[in-house]
Amino acid sequence: MLVVENLHVSYGHIQALSGVSITVPQGSIVSIIGSNGAGKTTLLNTISGLVKQHQGGIKFKGQELGWVPHSIVQQGIVQVPEGRKIFAGLTVEENLLAGGYILRDPKHLRSNVNKMMELYPILGSRKHQQAGTLSGGEQQMLAVCRGLMSEPELILLDEPSLGLAPIIVKSIFDLIGQIRQQGITVLLVEQNAKKALALSDYAYVLENGHVTMEGKGRDLLCDPAVKRAYLGEKE
Amino acid sequence: MSIQQLLNGVSLGSVYALIAVGFALVFNILKFSNFAHGGVMTLTAYIGLAASLFFSRWLSGLPLFGATLVSAALAGAIVGIVLERMAFRRIRNNNSPVIYYFISSITMGILMENIVTIFASSTFYSYPKFFELSVVELFHVNIALTDLLMLVFSSTALMILLWVLYRTKIGLAIRALSFDVNTANLMGMDSNRVVMATFIAAGILGGVAGVFLGINYTLYPQLGQLIVKGFIASVIGGLGSITGAMIGAVLLGVLEVTLISAVGAGIAPVFVFIIMLTFLLVRPRGIAGVIVQEKA
Ligand SMILES: Nc1ncnc2c1ncn2[C@@H]1O[C@H](COP(=O)(O)OP(=O)(O)OP(=O)(O)O)[C@@H](O)[C@H]1O
Ligand SMILES: [Mg+2]
Repeated sequence: MLVVENLHVSYGHIQALSGVSITVPQGSIVSIIGSNGAGKTTLLNTISGLVKQHQGGIKFKGQELGWVPHSIVQQGIVQVPEGRKIFAGLTVEENLLAGGYILRDPKHLRSNVNKMMELYPILGSRKHQQAGTLSGGEQQMLAVCRGLMSEPELILLDEPSLGLAPIIVKSIFDLIGQIRQQGITVLLVEQNAKKALALSDYAYVLENGHVTMEGKGRDLLCDPAVKRAYLGEKE
Repeated sequence: MSIQQLLNGVSLGSVYALIAVGFALVFNILKFSNFAHGGVMTLTAYIGLAASLFFSRWLSGLPLFGATLVSAALAGAIVGIVLERMAFRRIRNNNSPVIYYFISSITMGILMENIVTIFASSTFYSYPKFFELSVVELFHVNIALTDLLMLVFSSTALMILLWVLYRTKIGLAIRALSFDVNTANLMGMDSNRVVMATFIAAGILGGVAGVFLGINYTLYPQLGQLIVKGFIASVIGGLGSITGAMIGAVLLGVLEVTLISAVGAGIAPVFVFIIMLTFLLVRPRGIAGVIVQEKA
Protein backbone atom coordinates (compact mmCIF):
# COMPACT_ATOMS: atom_id res chain seq x y z
CA MET A 1 0.00 0.00 0.00
CA LEU A 2 2.78 2.37 0.98
CA VAL A 3 6.20 1.95 -0.58
CA VAL A 4 9.12 4.12 0.49
CA GLU A 5 12.14 3.68 -1.73
CA ASN A 6 15.69 4.73 -1.08
CA LEU A 7 14.70 7.80 0.90
CA HIS A 8 17.36 10.38 1.73
CA VAL A 9 16.57 13.31 4.00
CA SER A 10 18.91 15.89 5.40
CA TYR A 11 18.44 18.97 7.54
CA GLY A 12 21.16 21.24 6.25
CA HIS A 13 24.33 19.27 6.99
CA ILE A 14 22.67 16.71 9.23
CA GLN A 15 21.86 13.58 7.28
CA ALA A 16 18.78 12.18 9.03
CA LEU A 17 17.85 9.36 6.64
CA SER A 18 20.21 7.70 4.19
CA GLY A 19 18.59 5.32 1.76
CA VAL A 20 15.65 4.03 3.75
CA SER A 21 13.27 1.64 2.02
CA ILE A 22 10.17 0.23 3.66
CA THR A 23 6.96 -1.40 2.49
CA VAL A 24 3.66 -1.32 4.31
CA PRO A 25 1.17 -3.84 2.90
CA GLN A 26 -2.55 -3.13 3.11
CA GLY A 27 -4.24 -4.27 6.29
CA SER A 28 -1.03 -4.87 8.21
CA ILE A 29 0.68 -3.36 11.21
CA VAL A 30 4.26 -2.45 10.41
CA SER A 31 6.46 -1.04 13.11
CA ILE A 32 9.69 0.85 13.16
CA ILE A 33 11.90 0.67 16.20
CA GLY A 34 15.11 2.51 16.88
CA SER A 35 16.83 4.61 19.47
CA ASN A 36 16.57 8.37 19.96
CA GLY A 37 17.63 10.35 16.95
CA ALA A 38 17.52 7.36 14.61
CA GLY A 39 15.27 9.24 12.19
CA LYS A 40 11.89 7.66 12.94
CA THR A 41 9.98 10.93 13.26
CA THR A 42 11.78 12.27 10.22
CA LEU A 43 10.52 9.30 8.22
CA LEU A 44 6.92 9.85 9.26
CA ASN A 45 7.13 13.61 8.72
CA THR A 46 8.53 13.08 5.26
CA ILE A 47 5.66 10.73 4.39
CA SER A 48 3.19 13.33 5.74
CA GLY A 49 4.78 16.10 3.70
CA LEU A 50 6.00 18.18 6.64
CA VAL A 51 9.64 17.58 5.69
CA LYS A 52 10.03 18.52 2.08
CA GLN A 53 13.74 18.40 1.25
CA HIS A 54 14.03 14.74 0.34
CA GLN A 55 15.27 12.46 -2.40
CA GLY A 56 13.76 9.10 -3.22
CA GLY A 57 10.29 7.84 -3.90
CA ILE A 58 7.19 7.57 -1.77
CA LYS A 59 4.33 5.75 -3.45
CA PHE A 60 0.87 5.23 -2.02
CA LYS A 61 -1.42 2.77 -3.77
CA GLY A 62 0.90 2.92 -6.76
CA GLN A 63 0.84 6.71 -7.08
CA GLU A 64 3.46 9.29 -6.18
CA LEU A 65 2.29 10.80 -2.91
CA GLY A 66 3.39 14.38 -3.46
CA TRP A 67 4.56 16.76 -0.76
CA VAL A 68 1.56 18.90 0.16
CA PRO A 69 0.49 17.93 3.70
CA HIS A 70 -3.23 18.58 3.35
CA SER A 71 -3.48 16.72 0.07
CA ILE A 72 -1.69 13.73 1.62
CA VAL A 73 -4.38 13.69 4.31
CA GLN A 74 -7.02 13.78 1.61
CA GLN A 75 -5.40 10.79 -0.05
CA GLY A 76 -5.97 8.87 3.16
CA ILE A 77 -2.78 9.08 5.21
CA VAL A 78 -3.05 10.62 8.66
CA GLN A 79 -0.28 11.00 11.22
CA VAL A 80 -0.72 11.10 14.97
CA PRO A 81 2.39 13.07 15.87
CA GLU A 82 4.93 12.41 18.57
CA GLY A 83 4.07 14.10 21.86
CA ARG A 84 0.33 14.10 21.11
CA LYS A 85 0.22 17.68 19.91
CA ILE A 86 -3.41 18.14 20.80
CA PHE A 87 -4.70 21.69 20.44
CA ALA A 88 -4.47 22.53 24.12
CA GLY A 89 -6.67 25.62 24.09
CA LEU A 90 -9.44 24.09 22.01
CA THR A 91 -12.06 21.94 23.66
CA VAL A 92 -11.99 18.17 23.41
CA GLU A 93 -14.89 18.28 20.97
CA GLU A 94 -13.19 20.95 18.83
CA ASN A 95 -10.07 18.79 18.66
CA LEU A 96 -12.15 15.95 17.26
CA LEU A 97 -13.86 18.31 14.82
CA ALA A 98 -10.45 19.55 13.70
CA GLY A 99 -9.45 15.95 13.04
CA GLY A 100 -12.43 15.59 10.73
CA TYR A 101 -11.68 18.82 8.91
CA ILE A 102 -11.56 17.20 5.47
CA LEU A 103 -15.03 15.65 5.80
CA ARG A 104 -17.46 17.71 3.75
CA ASP A 105 -20.75 16.49 5.15
CA PRO A 106 -21.56 18.00 8.59
CA LYS A 107 -23.74 14.98 9.50
CA HIS A 108 -20.92 12.60 8.71
CA LEU A 109 -18.58 14.72 10.83
CA ARG A 110 -21.04 14.76 13.70
CA SER A 111 -21.61 11.00 13.59
CA ASN A 112 -17.84 10.38 13.65
CA VAL A 113 -17.52 12.64 16.70
CA ASN A 114 -20.23 10.63 18.38
CA LYS A 115 -18.49 7.36 17.49
CA MET A 116 -15.28 8.52 19.14
CA MET A 117 -17.18 9.59 22.22
CA GLU A 118 -18.78 6.15 22.41
CA LEU A 119 -15.39 4.50 21.99
CA TYR A 120 -13.98 6.63 24.82
CA PRO A 121 -16.81 7.92 26.98
CA ILE A 122 -14.35 10.17 28.83
CA LEU A 123 -14.05 12.24 25.65
CA GLY A 124 -17.81 12.68 25.70
CA SER A 125 -18.05 13.67 29.33
CA ARG A 126 -15.20 16.16 28.91
CA LYS A 127 -16.17 17.49 25.52
CA HIS A 128 -16.44 21.12 26.57
CA GLN A 129 -13.26 21.01 28.61
CA GLN A 130 -10.04 22.45 27.21
CA ALA A 131 -8.01 19.57 25.86
CA GLY A 132 -4.87 20.83 27.63
CA THR A 133 -6.48 19.98 30.98
CA LEU A 134 -6.77 16.27 30.16
CA SER A 135 -4.26 13.84 31.67
CA GLY A 136 -1.42 12.57 29.48
CA GLY A 137 -3.13 9.27 28.79
CA GLU A 138 -6.43 10.93 27.96
CA GLN A 139 -4.62 13.33 25.66
CA GLN A 140 -3.02 10.42 23.82
CA MET A 141 -6.41 8.75 23.37
CA LEU A 142 -7.78 12.05 22.09
CA ALA A 143 -4.84 12.40 19.69
CA VAL A 144 -5.43 8.93 18.23
CA CYS A 145 -9.20 9.47 18.01
CA ARG A 146 -8.60 12.83 16.36
CA GLY A 147 -6.45 11.03 13.80
CA LEU A 148 -9.22 8.50 13.17
CA MET A 149 -11.86 11.19 12.63
CA SER A 150 -11.16 11.58 8.92
CA GLU A 151 -11.32 7.80 8.36
CA PRO A 152 -7.79 7.31 7.03
CA GLU A 153 -6.71 4.23 5.10
CA LEU A 154 -3.25 4.39 6.62
CA ILE A 155 -2.50 5.80 10.04
CA LEU A 156 1.02 6.76 11.12
CA LEU A 157 1.50 6.59 14.88
CA ASP A 158 4.60 8.22 16.35
CA GLU A 159 5.45 6.81 19.77
CA PRO A 160 1.89 6.61 21.07
CA SER A 161 2.97 4.99 24.34
CA LEU A 162 5.56 7.64 25.22
CA GLY A 163 5.48 8.61 28.87
CA LEU A 164 2.39 6.64 29.78
CA ALA A 165 1.74 4.27 32.69
CA PRO A 166 1.81 0.54 31.82
CA ILE A 167 -1.94 0.10 32.11
CA ILE A 168 -2.57 2.93 29.66
CA VAL A 169 0.14 1.63 27.36
CA LYS A 170 -1.80 -1.61 27.26
CA SER A 171 -5.02 0.13 26.29
CA ILE A 172 -3.18 2.08 23.58
CA PHE A 173 -1.86 -1.16 22.09
CA ASP A 174 -5.34 -2.69 22.36
CA LEU A 175 -6.64 0.29 20.44
CA ILE A 176 -4.02 -0.20 17.73
CA GLY A 177 -5.20 -3.79 17.34
CA GLN A 178 -8.79 -2.57 17.04
CA ILE A 179 -7.77 -0.03 14.43
CA ARG A 180 -6.33 -2.77 12.28
CA GLN A 181 -9.50 -4.84 12.70
CA GLN A 182 -11.43 -1.93 11.24
CA GLY A 183 -9.34 -2.36 8.11
CA ILE A 184 -7.01 0.57 8.68
CA THR A 185 -3.36 -0.06 7.91
CA VAL A 186 -0.95 0.99 10.65
CA LEU A 187 2.63 2.23 10.50
CA LEU A 188 3.80 2.36 14.10
CA VAL A 189 6.92 4.01 15.46
CA GLU A 190 7.81 2.85 18.96
CA GLN A 191 10.50 2.80 21.59
CA ASN A 192 8.51 0.17 23.43
CA ALA A 193 9.99 -2.49 21.18
CA LYS A 194 8.65 -5.52 23.00
CA LYS A 195 4.99 -4.58 22.73
CA ALA A 196 5.38 -3.15 19.24
CA LEU A 197 7.11 -6.22 17.83
CA ALA A 198 4.60 -8.58 19.42
CA LEU A 199 1.76 -6.77 17.71
CA SER A 200 3.40 -6.18 14.32
CA ASP A 201 3.23 -8.25 11.18
CA TYR A 202 6.53 -6.84 10.02
CA ALA A 203 9.12 -4.53 11.52
CA TYR A 204 12.16 -2.49 10.68
CA VAL A 205 15.02 -1.45 12.92
CA LEU A 206 16.28 2.02 12.15
CA GLU A 207 19.73 3.16 13.30
CA ASN A 208 21.37 6.45 12.39
CA GLY A 209 19.21 6.84 9.33
CA HIS A 210 19.76 3.31 8.02
CA VAL A 211 17.53 0.26 8.16
CA THR A 212 19.81 -2.23 9.87
CA MET A 213 17.40 -5.09 10.30
CA GLU A 214 13.98 -6.12 9.17
CA GLY A 215 11.73 -9.12 9.49
CA LYS A 216 8.52 -10.50 10.89
CA GLY A 217 7.68 -8.97 14.25
CA ARG A 218 7.93 -12.27 16.11
CA ASP A 219 11.25 -13.15 14.48
CA LEU A 220 12.82 -9.87 15.49
CA LEU A 221 11.52 -10.36 19.01
CA CYS A 222 13.68 -13.48 19.24
CA ASP A 223 16.69 -12.02 17.50
CA PRO A 224 19.67 -11.82 19.87
CA ALA A 225 20.92 -8.48 18.54
CA VAL A 226 17.49 -6.91 18.92
CA LYS A 227 17.15 -8.39 22.37
CA ARG A 228 20.41 -6.86 23.43
CA ALA A 229 19.85 -3.43 21.97
CA TYR A 230 16.14 -2.81 22.33
CA LEU A 231 14.66 -5.23 24.81
CA GLY A 232 17.25 -4.75 27.51
CA GLU A 233 17.79 -8.47 27.89
CA LYS A 234 21.06 -10.24 28.52
CA GLU A 235 21.87 -13.40 26.71
CA MET B 1 -18.39 59.93 35.19
CA SER B 2 -21.66 60.61 33.42
CA ILE B 3 -23.53 57.98 31.44
CA GLN B 4 -22.90 60.08 28.39
CA GLN B 5 -19.15 59.92 28.86
CA LEU B 6 -19.35 56.21 29.44
CA LEU B 7 -21.20 55.77 26.17
CA ASN B 8 -18.69 57.93 24.35
CA GLY B 9 -15.89 55.86 25.79
CA VAL B 10 -17.51 52.56 24.94
CA SER B 11 -18.19 53.56 21.35
CA LEU B 12 -14.64 54.85 20.93
CA GLY B 13 -13.49 51.59 22.50
CA SER B 14 -15.52 49.58 20.02
CA VAL B 15 -13.53 51.10 17.17
CA TYR B 16 -10.30 50.41 19.04
CA ALA B 17 -11.57 46.85 19.39
CA LEU B 18 -11.84 46.55 15.61
CA ILE B 19 -8.22 47.66 15.32
CA ALA B 20 -6.99 45.46 18.14
CA VAL B 21 -8.79 42.36 16.91
CA GLY B 22 -7.60 42.81 13.33
CA PHE B 23 -4.10 43.07 14.72
CA ALA B 24 -4.53 40.11 17.09
CA LEU B 25 -5.89 37.77 14.41
CA VAL B 26 -2.69 38.00 12.41
CA PHE B 27 -0.54 38.02 15.54
CA ASN B 28 -2.07 34.73 16.66
CA ILE B 29 -1.55 32.87 13.47
CA LEU B 30 1.85 34.18 12.33
CA LYS B 31 3.24 35.28 15.72
CA PHE B 32 4.33 38.75 14.75
CA SER B 33 2.94 42.26 15.20
CA ASN B 34 1.50 43.21 11.84
CA PHE B 35 2.13 46.94 11.57
CA ALA B 36 1.02 46.85 7.93
CA HIS B 37 -2.47 46.82 9.44
CA GLY B 38 -2.12 50.57 9.95
CA GLY B 39 -1.52 50.98 6.23
CA VAL B 40 -4.61 48.90 5.52
CA MET B 41 -6.67 51.28 7.65
CA THR B 42 -5.28 54.38 5.93
CA LEU B 43 -5.88 52.97 2.48
CA THR B 44 -9.39 51.76 3.21
CA ALA B 45 -10.30 55.03 4.92
CA TYR B 46 -9.53 56.85 1.65
CA ILE B 47 -11.21 54.18 -0.45
CA GLY B 48 -14.26 54.54 1.79
CA LEU B 49 -14.18 58.28 1.21
CA ALA B 50 -14.04 57.77 -2.56
CA ALA B 51 -16.93 55.33 -2.31
CA SER B 52 -19.01 57.76 -0.24
CA LEU B 53 -18.47 60.51 -2.82
CA PHE B 54 -19.30 58.11 -5.62
CA PHE B 55 -22.46 56.70 -4.07
CA SER B 56 -23.67 60.11 -2.85
CA ARG B 57 -25.03 60.67 -6.35
CA TRP B 58 -27.73 58.10 -5.68
CA LEU B 59 -27.84 57.52 -1.98
CA SER B 60 -27.96 59.48 1.24
CA GLY B 61 -28.31 58.91 4.97
CA LEU B 62 -28.08 55.38 6.28
CA PRO B 63 -27.93 53.65 2.86
CA LEU B 64 -25.00 55.86 1.86
CA PHE B 65 -23.30 55.15 5.15
CA GLY B 66 -23.88 51.42 4.67
CA ALA B 67 -22.56 51.49 1.11
CA THR B 68 -19.44 53.31 2.31
CA LEU B 69 -18.79 50.76 5.03
CA VAL B 70 -19.33 47.81 2.72
CA SER B 71 -17.03 49.29 0.07
CA ALA B 72 -14.29 49.92 2.61
CA ALA B 73 -14.71 46.44 4.07
CA LEU B 74 -14.48 44.86 0.61
CA ALA B 75 -11.44 46.96 -0.18
CA GLY B 76 -9.95 45.81 3.12
CA ALA B 77 -10.52 42.18 2.17
CA ILE B 78 -8.81 42.71 -1.18
CA VAL B 79 -5.90 44.58 0.38
CA GLY B 80 -5.62 41.70 2.87
CA ILE B 81 -5.37 39.18 0.05
CA VAL B 82 -2.76 41.22 -1.82
CA LEU B 83 -0.78 41.76 1.38
CA GLU B 84 -0.72 38.08 2.21
CA ARG B 85 0.31 37.04 -1.29
CA MET B 86 2.91 39.77 -1.79
CA ALA B 87 4.41 40.28 1.62
CA PHE B 88 4.06 37.12 3.64
CA ARG B 89 3.39 33.94 1.67
CA ARG B 90 6.92 33.44 0.44
CA ILE B 91 8.59 34.03 3.75
CA ARG B 92 6.03 31.80 5.40
CA ASN B 93 6.62 28.91 3.02
CA ASN B 94 10.36 29.29 3.51
CA ASN B 95 9.99 29.11 7.30
CA SER B 96 11.81 32.43 7.60
CA PRO B 97 12.65 33.99 10.97
CA VAL B 98 10.23 36.44 12.57
CA ILE B 99 12.40 39.43 11.70
CA TYR B 100 11.51 38.96 8.02
CA TYR B 101 7.85 39.33 8.88
CA PHE B 102 8.55 42.50 10.80
CA ILE B 103 10.50 44.06 7.98
CA SER B 104 7.95 42.99 5.42
CA SER B 105 5.01 44.32 7.42
CA ILE B 106 6.61 47.65 8.23
CA THR B 107 7.64 48.08 4.60
CA MET B 108 4.14 47.35 3.37
CA GLY B 109 2.70 49.76 5.96
CA ILE B 110 4.97 52.56 4.77
CA LEU B 111 4.25 51.70 1.14
CA MET B 112 0.51 52.00 1.61
CA GLU B 113 0.89 55.24 3.55
CA ASN B 114 3.04 56.67 0.76
CA ILE B 115 0.65 55.60 -1.97
CA VAL B 116 -2.01 57.59 -0.17
CA THR B 117 0.36 60.53 0.31
CA ILE B 118 1.10 60.68 -3.42
CA PHE B 119 -2.55 60.83 -4.35
CA ALA B 120 -4.09 62.72 -1.49
CA SER B 121 -1.64 64.64 0.63
CA SER B 122 -2.08 68.06 -0.96
CA THR B 123 -5.78 68.33 -0.30
CA PHE B 124 -7.67 68.25 2.94
CA TYR B 125 -10.36 65.59 2.87
CA SER B 126 -13.12 64.67 5.22
CA TYR B 127 -16.10 62.39 5.01
CA PRO B 128 -19.40 63.91 3.91
CA LYS B 129 -21.97 64.53 6.57
CA PHE B 130 -24.08 61.41 6.33
CA PHE B 131 -26.98 62.55 8.49
CA GLU B 132 -28.95 65.74 9.11
CA LEU B 133 -29.33 64.82 12.70
CA SER B 134 -26.16 64.82 14.76
CA VAL B 135 -27.45 63.95 18.20
CA VAL B 136 -30.04 61.41 19.19
CA GLU B 137 -31.74 60.93 22.51
CA LEU B 138 -31.67 57.42 23.82
CA PHE B 139 -33.03 56.51 27.24
CA HIS B 140 -32.92 60.19 28.20
CA VAL B 141 -29.25 60.44 27.30
CA ASN B 142 -28.00 62.50 24.41
CA ILE B 143 -25.56 60.61 22.28
CA ALA B 144 -23.81 61.70 19.11
CA LEU B 145 -25.22 59.80 16.16
CA THR B 146 -21.78 58.86 14.85
CA ASP B 147 -20.93 57.42 18.26
CA LEU B 148 -24.06 55.34 18.20
CA LEU B 149 -23.37 54.09 14.68
CA MET B 150 -19.78 53.28 15.58
CA LEU B 151 -20.96 51.26 18.52
CA VAL B 152 -23.65 49.40 16.59
CA PHE B 153 -21.62 48.62 13.48
CA SER B 154 -18.39 47.76 15.28
CA SER B 155 -20.13 45.41 17.68
CA THR B 156 -21.97 43.80 14.79
CA ALA B 157 -18.72 43.27 12.88
CA LEU B 158 -17.08 41.76 15.96
CA MET B 159 -20.07 39.51 16.65
CA ILE B 160 -19.92 38.20 13.11
CA LEU B 161 -16.20 37.58 13.51
CA LEU B 162 -16.75 35.64 16.74
CA TRP B 163 -19.45 33.63 15.05
CA VAL B 164 -17.09 32.74 12.22
CA LEU B 165 -14.27 31.86 14.63
CA TYR B 166 -16.34 29.72 16.95
CA ARG B 167 -19.09 28.29 14.76
CA THR B 168 -17.60 27.61 11.35
CA LYS B 169 -15.05 25.18 9.99
CA ILE B 170 -12.73 27.84 8.67
CA GLY B 171 -12.91 29.53 12.09
CA LEU B 172 -11.90 26.29 13.77
CA ALA B 173 -9.04 25.99 11.29
CA ILE B 174 -7.91 29.54 12.08
CA ARG B 175 -7.86 28.74 15.78
CA ALA B 176 -6.17 25.37 15.28
CA LEU B 177 -3.49 26.92 13.09
CA SER B 178 -2.92 29.59 15.75
CA PHE B 179 -1.94 26.85 18.15
CA ASP B 180 0.19 24.66 15.93
CA VAL B 181 0.72 24.96 12.20
CA ASN B 182 2.26 21.54 11.61
CA THR B 183 -0.37 19.65 13.51
CA ALA B 184 -3.10 21.62 11.76
CA ASN B 185 -1.54 20.54 8.46
CA LEU B 186 -1.66 16.95 9.65
CA MET B 187 -5.42 17.37 10.07
CA GLY B 188 -5.70 18.25 6.39
CA MET B 189 -5.87 22.00 6.88
CA ASP B 190 -4.35 24.02 4.08
CA SER B 191 -2.17 26.74 5.66
CA ASN B 192 -2.29 28.95 2.61
CA ARG B 193 -6.06 29.00 2.58
CA VAL B 194 -6.42 29.48 6.32
CA VAL B 195 -3.85 32.27 6.51
CA MET B 196 -5.52 33.93 3.54
CA ALA B 197 -8.88 33.75 5.32
CA THR B 198 -7.28 35.34 8.38
CA PHE B 199 -5.93 38.24 6.35
CA ILE B 200 -9.32 38.70 4.71
CA ALA B 201 -11.00 38.86 8.12
CA ALA B 202 -8.37 41.27 9.44
CA GLY B 203 -8.70 43.37 6.28
CA ILE B 204 -12.47 43.64 6.63
CA LEU B 205 -12.13 44.78 10.24
CA GLY B 206 -9.41 47.20 9.14
CA GLY B 207 -11.72 48.60 6.48
CA VAL B 208 -14.57 49.22 8.89
CA ALA B 209 -12.14 50.74 11.40
CA GLY B 210 -10.64 52.92 8.67
CA VAL B 211 -14.01 54.51 7.89
CA PHE B 212 -14.76 55.22 11.54
CA LEU B 213 -11.31 56.69 12.15
CA GLY B 214 -11.77 58.85 9.05
CA ILE B 215 -15.10 60.10 10.32
CA ASN B 216 -13.77 60.72 13.80
CA TYR B 217 -10.48 62.40 13.00
CA THR B 218 -10.70 63.64 9.39
CA LEU B 219 -8.41 62.03 6.83
CA TYR B 220 -4.65 62.25 6.69
CA PRO B 221 -2.12 59.74 5.34
CA GLN B 222 -0.76 58.92 8.80
CA LEU B 223 -4.20 57.93 10.04
CA GLY B 224 -3.02 54.33 10.20
CA GLN B 225 -0.69 55.20 13.05
CA LEU B 226 -3.75 54.91 15.25
CA ILE B 227 -2.89 51.20 15.10
CA VAL B 228 -1.06 52.11 18.31
CA LYS B 229 -4.45 52.24 20.02
CA GLY B 230 -5.09 48.68 18.97
CA PHE B 231 -1.66 47.70 20.21
CA ILE B 232 -2.22 49.34 23.62
CA ALA B 233 -5.61 47.67 23.89
CA SER B 234 -4.02 44.31 23.08
CA VAL B 235 -1.39 44.79 25.78
CA ILE B 236 -4.00 45.74 28.37
CA GLY B 237 -6.26 42.88 27.32
CA GLY B 238 -3.54 40.28 26.81
CA LEU B 239 -1.59 39.96 23.56
CA GLY B 240 -2.91 37.18 21.42
CA SER B 241 -6.35 36.87 22.96
CA ILE B 242 -9.25 38.01 20.78
CA THR B 243 -11.63 38.41 23.69
CA GLY B 244 -8.91 40.08 25.72
CA ALA B 245 -8.32 42.57 22.91
CA MET B 246 -12.01 43.49 22.92
CA ILE B 247 -12.09 44.00 26.68
CA GLY B 248 -8.83 45.97 26.60
CA ALA B 249 -10.14 48.18 23.80
CA VAL B 250 -13.35 49.12 25.58
CA LEU B 251 -11.41 49.86 28.77
CA LEU B 252 -8.99 52.01 26.78
CA GLY B 253 -11.84 53.96 25.16
CA VAL B 254 -13.51 54.69 28.49
CA LEU B 255 -10.17 55.51 30.07
CA GLU B 256 -9.29 57.98 27.32
CA VAL B 257 -12.61 59.79 27.45
CA THR B 258 -12.39 60.03 31.22
CA LEU B 259 -8.79 61.23 31.20
CA ILE B 260 -9.50 63.82 28.53
CA SER B 261 -12.24 65.36 30.62
CA ALA B 262 -10.16 65.10 33.78
CA VAL B 263 -6.70 66.26 32.69
CA GLY B 264 -7.24 67.53 29.16
CA ALA B 265 -6.50 66.12 25.74
CA GLY B 266 -2.84 67.22 25.85
CA ILE B 267 -1.76 65.15 28.82
CA ALA B 268 -4.19 62.24 28.53
CA PRO B 269 -1.94 60.20 26.17
CA VAL B 270 0.87 60.38 28.71
CA PHE B 271 -1.29 58.69 31.30
CA VAL B 272 -2.44 56.10 28.78
CA PHE B 273 1.16 55.19 28.00
CA ILE B 274 2.04 55.03 31.68
CA ILE B 275 -0.84 52.62 32.19
CA MET B 276 0.29 50.49 29.28
CA LEU B 277 3.87 50.38 30.55
CA THR B 278 2.59 49.44 33.99
CA PHE B 279 0.71 46.56 32.44
CA LEU B 280 3.80 45.41 30.53
CA LEU B 281 5.84 45.50 33.73
CA VAL B 282 3.38 44.18 36.26
CA ARG B 283 1.05 42.02 34.27
CA PRO B 284 2.43 41.22 30.81
CA ARG B 285 -0.27 38.62 30.30
CA GLY B 286 -2.84 41.40 30.37
CA ILE B 287 -6.27 41.16 31.91
CA ALA B 288 -7.21 38.15 29.82
CA GLY B 289 -4.68 36.13 31.78
CA VAL B 290 -7.44 35.62 34.32
CA ILE B 291 -10.74 36.45 32.69
CA VAL B 292 -10.33 34.55 29.47
CA GLN B 293 -7.94 31.69 29.21
CA GLU B 294 -8.43 30.61 25.67
CA LYS B 295 -6.31 31.92 22.90
CA ALA B 296 -8.08 32.29 19.62
N1 LIG C 1 14.09 20.24 12.21
C1 LIG C 1 15.30 19.68 12.33
N2 LIG C 1 16.41 20.39 12.04
C2 LIG C 1 17.64 19.84 12.16
N3 LIG C 1 17.85 18.58 12.54
C3 LIG C 1 16.80 17.81 12.84
C4 LIG C 1 15.46 18.33 12.76
N4 LIG C 1 14.62 17.34 13.12
C5 LIG C 1 15.38 16.27 13.40
N5 LIG C 1 16.69 16.54 13.25
C6 LIG C 1 17.81 15.61 13.45
O1 LIG C 1 17.58 14.47 12.66
C7 LIG C 1 17.91 13.28 13.38
C8 LIG C 1 16.72 12.34 13.44
O2 LIG C 1 15.71 12.93 14.24
P1 LIG C 1 14.29 12.29 14.47
O3 LIG C 1 13.45 13.24 15.20
O4 LIG C 1 13.76 11.79 13.18
O5 LIG C 1 14.64 11.05 15.41
P2 LIG C 1 13.70 10.00 16.13
O6 LIG C 1 14.12 8.67 15.68
O7 LIG C 1 12.28 10.36 15.94
O8 LIG C 1 14.12 10.18 17.64
P3 LIG C 1 13.21 10.09 18.98
O9 LIG C 1 13.05 8.66 19.29
O10 LIG C 1 14.03 10.80 20.00
O11 LIG C 1 11.92 10.79 18.70
C9 LIG C 1 18.40 13.74 14.73
O12 LIG C 1 19.81 13.75 14.70
C10 LIG C 1 17.87 15.12 14.87
O13 LIG C 1 18.73 15.92 15.64
MG1 LIG D 1 10.76 10.86 17.16
